[in-house]
Amino acid sequence: MDELRKSFHHDIEDVRTELVHMAAFVTEAIPRATAVLLNGDLEGADQIINGDDEIDARALELEDQCIQILALQAPVAGDLRQIVAALKMVAEVERSADLVCNICKAARRIYGHSLDPTLRGIITRMGEQAQQLYIAAIESFVENDAAKAAAIDDMDNYLDALQKQFVQAIFESHAAGRIDLQVAVQLAVVARFYERIGDHAVNIGERVRFVVTGWLPEHRGAARFRSRADDSTEMTRPPSLGSSD
Amino acid sequence: MDVFVLLAGCAVGVIATLVAVKVLESRRASPTLGGEHASDVSSEQSLAASQARAHRLQGALDAMPYGVMVADQNGQVLLRNKAADTAGSDAHNEVLVQAAVQYNLRSALRGEARTQTVELYGPPKRVVVVEAHPLDPDGAMVTVEDVTERFRLDAVRTDFVANISHELKTPIGALAVLAETLIDETDPAVVRRLADRTVNEAHRVAKMIDDLLELSRIELSGDLIVSSCDVGLLVVEAASRNSLLARQNKVAVDAGDIDVGLSINADHAQITSALGNLVDNAVKYSDANGVVKVTAHLDQQGVTFVVSDNGIGIPSHDLDRIFERFYRVDRARSRGTGGTGLGLSIVRHVANNHGGSITVESHEGEGSTFRLYIPERLVPQT
Repeated sequence: MDELRKSFHHDIEDVRTELVHMAAFVTEAIPRATAVLLNGDLEGADQIINGDDEIDARALELEDQCIQILALQAPVAGDLRQIVAALKMVAEVERSADLVCNICKAARRIYGHSLDPTLRGIITRMGEQAQQLYIAAIESFVENDAAKAAAIDDMDNYLDALQKQFVQAIFESHAAGRIDLQVAVQLAVVARFYERIGDHAVNIGERVRFVVTGWLPEHRGAARFRSRADDSTEMTRPPSLGSSD
Repeated sequence: MDVFVLLAGCAVGVIATLVAVKVLESRRASPTLGGEHASDVSSEQSLAASQARAHRLQGALDAMPYGVMVADQNGQVLLRNKAADTAGSDAHNEVLVQAAVQYNLRSALRGEARTQTVELYGPPKRVVVVEAHPLDPDGAMVTVEDVTERFRLDAVRTDFVANISHELKTPIGALAVLAETLIDETDPAVVRRLADRTVNEAHRVAKMIDDLLELSRIELSGDLIVSSCDVGLLVVEAASRNSLLARQNKVAVDAGDIDVGLSINADHAQITSALGNLVDNAVKYSDANGVVKVTAHLDQQGVTFVVSDNGIGIPSHDLDRIFERFYRVDRARSRGTGGTGLGLSIVRHVANNHGGSITVESHEGEGSTFRLYIPERLVPQT
């Protein structure tokens, strides 16, 4: 029994290590994509886009590994949370890698257009902040640090603010005739990509908190929903269903 | 390659010694295996000798500037030196370096030596070379070397040659074309325009040669002509050099906030040249109605001149290269602003000549701040 558990914990450790590797890969890709975008580096864009296949393959493999552990070892309590959280987190990381690719694809579409220093400056900051979020997510995961994981949410507020500021700067640049509509739309989408990468980092942080404490922020909303449902038990039908009269 | 043979030799020596020490220790632990008393004494001595040898070799490995790891045939790391533990400073960089180490190690364990260059975007940007070699009879060793600085220097060298030929050839090529066109031109209005442009290009070459001469003077002259200089006057002089350009670009130069009576022991001509270049850049890269602020403040070690603007700023990946000779952030733009690509290089040399430093902080679209620090015993005037 002892021997079995040892190899089981070894398996969980493997899952964690691989997850950290993949997340580090994404963390590294964020500044690369920013450089691709700002320098119009088409070759670099191809490299990152091709590199995504590796992340997809590794994500699938890791998922299989997790499912196998669930099926064969039937983990409980903390171990179960680890594996279930890993299953969720691998999807977050994989999606983030896709978003990094999307930034590179946008870089291809705006190739040859020059951008205002203000726009370039905010892009640089968004890239840096998105990377900071990811670094914090990895560190909180490696250290099982729920407090650090909780801080990621606050860091994300700054990234959201940058996105709003960026959209404003796009309007100004377009109004002054320095970028055309096509580029403006592409840039707005790019800002969204960075913002989404940040959100995925926040989700990873939430999963880390779940592993450590068993609590998720969604529990708050779920509790509200339940209390509303309890209040309305006298109602004859659920309010969300459409009525015919 | 010699180094690796040496390293491999060292590593094998360490393993052999460590194994010997382990065997001897186990013999000592179980006297039934140890045999008679006399052999115990000699094994006691050779144990001490082996331990000393192992210590020395481990010390030698630890003193190496790059990471060394030795693994057995199963990929289990038997020993690593100190540098191997600090090869990656940040968590996520460390993970990527370790992944490369594992990848190359597996290849070496199959008997295939392998070298991989890992470029990390950071920040800070780092380049690491991971080399794996199979060992005889089994196992493998991996070295991790940080070659960031070497890569940077290579880039500086190759870019320098490309940039200097570009900077010198462009105006001379333009002069040749303009002169050729002038030969057959009869329309006086066109001749006039071409002649104007010829003069402009000639001025550009002249400015370039002036800057080159100034740079070589500052680079070569070991001796500074030190005198007591009034800090306020230095700044005013630097600002007034650029007043015409500032008026043309509608940029205000604000040098009002400087303590009266501050003075510094420095080379007057060099400091004015450095400050002049900083203000010149700040004015050139400001938008119309921008403000360039020049201040100087005193701390315990010296004076820091701060030149800041709210202009276009510098992309972060160019920040550590702008002090190189002829380095251009954006060639297309700098042709229009008429610089020579030598200004900041001059500033850096002036700072070095005075034992000071020049640093920059910049964000694109928000502006740049240059800090020129000149250490000196200050003589506050009364």
